Amino acid sequence: MVDLKKEEYRKRDLLYVVPFWLLSLIVPDAEDLYSYKRKDFKRRDLFYLGALLLFPLIWNDLHVHHVMVLAGIYAILALGLSLFLGYAGQISLGHAAFFGIGVYTTAILTTRYALPSIVAFWASAATAGVAAYLIGRPILKLKGYFLAIATLGFGEIFLVMVKESHTLTGGVSGIFGIPWFSVAGFTFDTYLKQYYLTWGVLVGLLIFSKNLIRSKVGRDLLTISTSEEAAASMGMNVPQIKTWAFVVSGTFAGFAGSLFASTLSIASPETFSLGFSLFIIMMVIIGGMGNLYGPVVGSILLTWLMDFLGRYQEWSLPIYGVILILLLIFFPDGIGTRLGIRLIYLIGYIPKKRRREEKKG
Amino acid sequence: MASWSYLPQLLTSGITLGAVYALVALGFVTIIRASQIINFAQGEFVMLGGVITFFLLKGANLPYPVAILLAILIVIFIGFLFHLLVIYPLRKTSVLILIIGTLGASIFLSSTSGLLFGTLPKALPPLSGHQSLQVGGMTFLPQNLWVLGFSLLLLIVLYFLSHRTFLGKAMEASATDPLGADLLGISRTLMVFLSFGVSAGIGAIAGILITPIFFTSYNSGTLLGLKGFIAAVLGGWGKNNGAILGGFVLGVLESLSLAFIPSGYKDAVAFVILLIILYFRPKGILGSPFMDSRRW
Repeated sequence: MVDLKKEEYRKRDLLYVVPFWLLSLIVPDAEDLYSYKRKDFKRRDLFYLGALLLFPLIWNDLHVHHVMVLAGIYAILALGLSLFLGYAGQISLGHAAFFGIGVYTTAILTTRYALPSIVAFWASAATAGVAAYLIGRPILKLKGYFLAIATLGFGEIFLVMVKESHTLTGGVSGIFGIPWFSVAGFTFDTYLKQYYLTWGVLVGLLIFSKNLIRSKVGRDLLTISTSEEAAASMGMNVPQIKTWAFVVSGTFAGFAGSLFASTLSIASPETFSLGFSLFIIMMVIIGGMGNLYGPVVGSILLTWLMDFLGRYQEWSLPIYGVILILLLIFFPDGIGTRLGIRLIYLIGYIPKKRRREEKKG
Repeated sequence: MASWSYLPQLLTSGITLGAVYALVALGFVTIIRASQIINFAQGEFVMLGGVITFFLLKGANLPYPVAILLAILIVIFIGFLFHLLVIYPLRKTSVLILIIGTLGASIFLSSTSGLLFGTLPKALPPLSGHQSLQVGGMTFLPQNLWVLGFSLLLLIVLYFLSHRTFLGKAMEASATDPLGADLLGISRTLMVFLSFGVSAGIGAIAGILITPIFFTSYNSGTLLGLKGFIAAVLGGWGKNNGAILGGFVLGVLESLSLAFIPSGYKDAVAFVILLIILYFRPKGILGSPFMDSRRW
C-alpha cells in the first residue's frame, strides 16, 4: 500500500461512501477468483442467486423484464469475451460476428427447416465455435493492434456477406418470425419466462467459466496474458491455447445469439456492426477485466444506460460516445476495481479523522 | 462474366479511389510516426472536412477558397481538441482502452455531425469544371487529377517535414524510442499533439477533395477510415510512401474486383486483402521502420 497523505482524503469523498459500500457488497474482489482455496459456492453467491430469482417478481414490469432479458444475453456474450479479453489478454473487435453467426443459425434452422429450438440452440453454439476455430487458427498468431485489426476485418467481412447473400440470410431486411424458445413442449413465450431461461443459461455458463479458469487451462490463459514469451518458454503452445480461448468465447457468443434470435424474433444485419463489438468490449472493461462477475455487472449497467438513452432519440449516440470516453478515462480498469480502491481510502479515513479530532479536543 | 473491355475504365476509377485511400492512409501514418497510436477516428476527420466545407459553402455562403481554408482550420482545431480530450487522458492506459477510446470518439464525431449538419449525403462542386477529359479511350474528371496531384504534393510536404526538419525528426524519435526522446528533452506530449493536428489537416484535405467525386454523409467516415488504415498496413506500417503505394494498390485491386465479383462484395475485398497481408507479411509491401522481421 502506498503511503497515504493527508491531501488524498477529501471531504466530498464522504458523499459517496454509501453507494461505495453497497457496491462493495455486490462487486466481489478479483482476488477471490485467483486464490487456490476451493470455495466454489459462497454465501454471497447465494445472495446473488436469490436476488436474481426474486428481481422480476418484485419489479413486475414488462419493460424491465425485456431490458433484463437483453442484459442477460449481453452478459453471456460479455462473459465469453472476458475469458478471451480479460483472462487471455487478447483483443477481439469482431465478436459481434460470432453473435451474428449464432443469431442467423437459429433463425435459419427454426424458420426454414422447422427444427426444434433446442437443436438450433446447440447448433448455433457449435457453428459459432467452429467459425471461431477456423478464424482463430490463422489470426491468433498476431498480437496487440494487429490482432484487433484482423478481428475487426473478419467482423466487417461477415457483415458484408450477411448483407449480400440474400437467399440464405434475407439480405438487409433479415429474417422474421423466429419462434420463441421451447423445450419439451414448454414454450418460453413471455419475457418473464425468457428472463429465467436467459439468466439460467448465464448461471450455467458462469459456473463453467469459474471451473475453467481454476483449471490448468485457466492458469495457462493468465500466464499468456502476463507474458506470451514467458508462457512459450515454459513449453506452452501459445497459439493453440489462445485459439481454444477464442473458441470458448465464440461458443458463448453463439449461445447468446441463439437466445437473442428467439427473444426478438428477428435477425437483421444492422445489429452486428462494429458499434456492437464496441458495446460488448465496453461491458467487459466497465465491469473490470479478469473478474467473472465484472462482465455481468457491466452488461446490466450498459444495457440500462442504452435503454435510458433511448428516450433522447437522435441525441443518444453523441451522449453515448461522451459517456463511453468518460468511463474509459475515469474507470479504465472497471468501475468495481476503481471504487474498491477508493473504498479502502475511505475506510482508513473516517477513524483517522476521528482520532485527529480527539487529539485536538 | 468478366468483361475485359471495362478494365481500363475500372483502372482509372481504381487509381482515383487509390488516391483517396492514400490520402486517408497518410493521416494514419502521420500519427503512427509520432506516437504508435492507431487513431480510428481518422475517417471522421475526412468526413468532417467534406461536411464542414459544404456547410460553410452552402449554409454560410462563403466563397469556395475561404470555405476550404476555414474548414481545414476547424478540422485541425478538432484534431487538437481530440488529442487533449481523448488521447491525452488515456495516454498511460493499455492498447485496448486507446482503441476503444478512439472508436468512442468516432461514434461521437459522426453522430454529432449528423445532428448538426443533417444526415443527407452532401456533394461539393468540383474544384475545376465538370468537363470530363478523354485520354486514350479512358474518361476521367478533372477532380481526379486534383486528388492525384494533392496526394503527391502532400507526400512531398510530409517527406520534407519528417526528413528535413527538426520537428519531424523529433516526432519520429518520440515514437521509435520514447525513453531516448525524453532524455533528449523532446516533449512527447507536444509531438503527439502536433501530429494529431497535422493528421486532422490531411484528413480534412482528403475529405474536401473527395466530396465532389463521392458523396459524403455523416456515417461515411468509419468505412473510409478503415480502408485508409488497410492501405497504411498494406503499403508498410509507418511509411509515408508506403501509405501512398498501399492506397493505390488497394484502390486498384478493389476497383478491378468489380469485374469479377458482385458489386455488393466490394467492401469485403479490402478486408480480405487485410487478412492476407497480416498473415503473410504484416510489415507491409515496403517494410516497416517500426517492426522487425518477427511476426507480430
